[in-house]
Amino acid sequence: MYRIKQLSVFIENRTGQITDVTTILSQNNLSIKSINLIDSNDFGLLRVIVDDAQKTKKVLDNAGISLKITDVFAVAIDDHIGSFNEVVTLLSSNNINIEYTYTINNNHNGAFIFKVSPLLFNKTIDILKENNVEVLKEL
Amino acid sequence: MIWNEIESARREDIEATQLSRLQDTVQRVYSLTPFYKEKFNEIGLKPEDITSLTDISKLPFTTKKDLRAHYPFGLFTVPMSEVIRVHSSSGTTGKPTVVGYTKADMDVWDEVMARVFTMAGATSEDIVHNGYGYGLFTGGLGFHNGAEKIGATIIPASGGMTDRQLMLMRDFGATILAATPTFSLHMAEVAKKTGSNYLKDYKLKAGIFGAEPTSSGLKKEVAEAWGIDYHEVYGLSEIIGPGVACSCKESELLHVFEDHFYFEIIDSETGEIKPEGERGELVITPLTKQALPLLRYRTGDITSITKEPCKCGRTLLRMESIVGRADDMLIISGVNVYPSQIEHVIANTEGVTLNYQIIAEKKGHLDKLEIHVEVSDEIMSDSLGEMAIIKKKIQSALLNNLYINANVILVQPRSLARSEGKAVRIIDKRKD
Repeated sequence: MYRIKQLSVFIENRTGQITDVTTILSQNNLSIKSINLIDSNDFGLLRVIVDDAQKTKKVLDNAGISLKITDVFAVAIDDHIGSFNEVVTLLSSNNINIEYTYTINNNHNGAFIFKVSPLLFNKTIDILKENNVEVLKEL
Repeated sequence: MIWNEIESARREDIEATQLSRLQDTVQRVYSLTPFYKEKFNEIGLKPEDITSLTDISKLPFTTKKDLRAHYPFGLFTVPMSEVIRVHSSSGTTGKPTVVGYTKADMDVWDEVMARVFTMAGATSEDIVHNGYGYGLFTGGLGFHNGAEKIGATIIPASGGMTDRQLMLMRDFGATILAATPTFSLHMAEVAKKTGSNYLKDYKLKAGIFGAEPTSSGLKKEVAEAWGIDYHEVYGLSEIIGPGVACSCKESELLHVFEDHFYFEIIDSETGEIKPEGERGELVITPLTKQALPLLRYRTGDITSITKEPCKCGRTLLRMESIVGRADDMLIISGVNVYPSQIEHVIANTEGVTLNYQIIAEKKGHLDKLEIHVEVSDEIMSDSLGEMAIIKKKIQSALLNNLYINANVILVQPRSLARSEGKAVRIIDKRKD
């Protein structure tokens, strides 16, 4: 129930590639909750969280765009200094390696998105909840 | 099964037939084609000088340029009243090359295509799905006539419209597929979308593929995608169309129908004939052509030939799959590379599709080679690192096996120009 579906889309390093993807999303009335681009010299990955992951997969598949769905989770941002550090420290002291993380804004506050190994996903959620960290069910 | 007993005749008998047919052809072009008569006179050659098969080296070559110079019907040796069919090449550079057939030529074409179908195990019981384009291209009608000759049921699907073709193949229960390898692979990719057990809907047992140079890797991929035996056919319109040679079940080598086509392998630069087993440019002399007999036609295709007998019982000469085109050979910083060799390396790298494009450029004085490779859905990852490993794998395989430094660029699946006919594999920007 805390699994948020993130779509990673392969992006070639040339002008217009991101537009190709976002145009398809807007034409299909899909709302982007979060978007995050990472790149190397040659190519990049666009990580997006949308309101309807299955529909998005379908429309992108049909457009011939390769993607991969990954489970991530979101932690609510408590607006004080050190709040991010507390979460990260909690995870590392439990030997949970964070593969990547980024922040997003929603209507109210903001949230951190985390990706950990799929094998540790449930364990991570349990630890966070035991320590009263607010894990979001949806964005 | 073997269609014609000449396919398993003794070598002496095959060669005796070749010599008498060669002498007839030489006499024919000398007396009927001013172009050849002039060439003979220039070098002081008479048709009677050809007394053995090795004398063929005395004859002049014919090139595509010669055909273009006599566009459209200048080299025909019969009046148009005897020509019953005309085909032509696509002619992407200038005028197309035009070829003609008499009734006797059509009979030969049907005959060699019947041998091709029989070699692929087809009989009158089979249903042949013909996905080669119908029209001026020899593929469509060449396969059509051959399938009719053996009495099979022919489905003249022609090219394009993938979904419709798949529906016809399923509903009509096609057992033999005839199409280009890239289009066949494309069809399999589309069929796969219906689920991993898509093969249960199809009855295919063999395929006859040609019209594109093909690596072992691509052949294997097509054969596995359709769960069929892969037979490769070789041919070119200038000689007859498809049906010059075909591979049997025993090996990847192609049996040459040498009672109709005489093969030589030459050094492209010097024109010297190369010994059996060595690679060079393929030169073909059709031995029975009436409308358009040509002497020593330079195909531009690179291959080798062997007379070693085959387990299937045929005694015909065999050729290896075309390695490349004489004019396709890339010289990258002094290293000779054929695109098919690059394709082979790509085929052996897990997770990449066989859709690729080779781009050669000059940067300053240095050759720069870029290879664009489509990423497959299977290796699509959420990690840049994992994808970078695939790129590195291909690059080091190219360096270790072919001694070339290439920059491999991963591109979107289905983003490279994908033809439903022939694939564009090389862009050489250095030629401008």
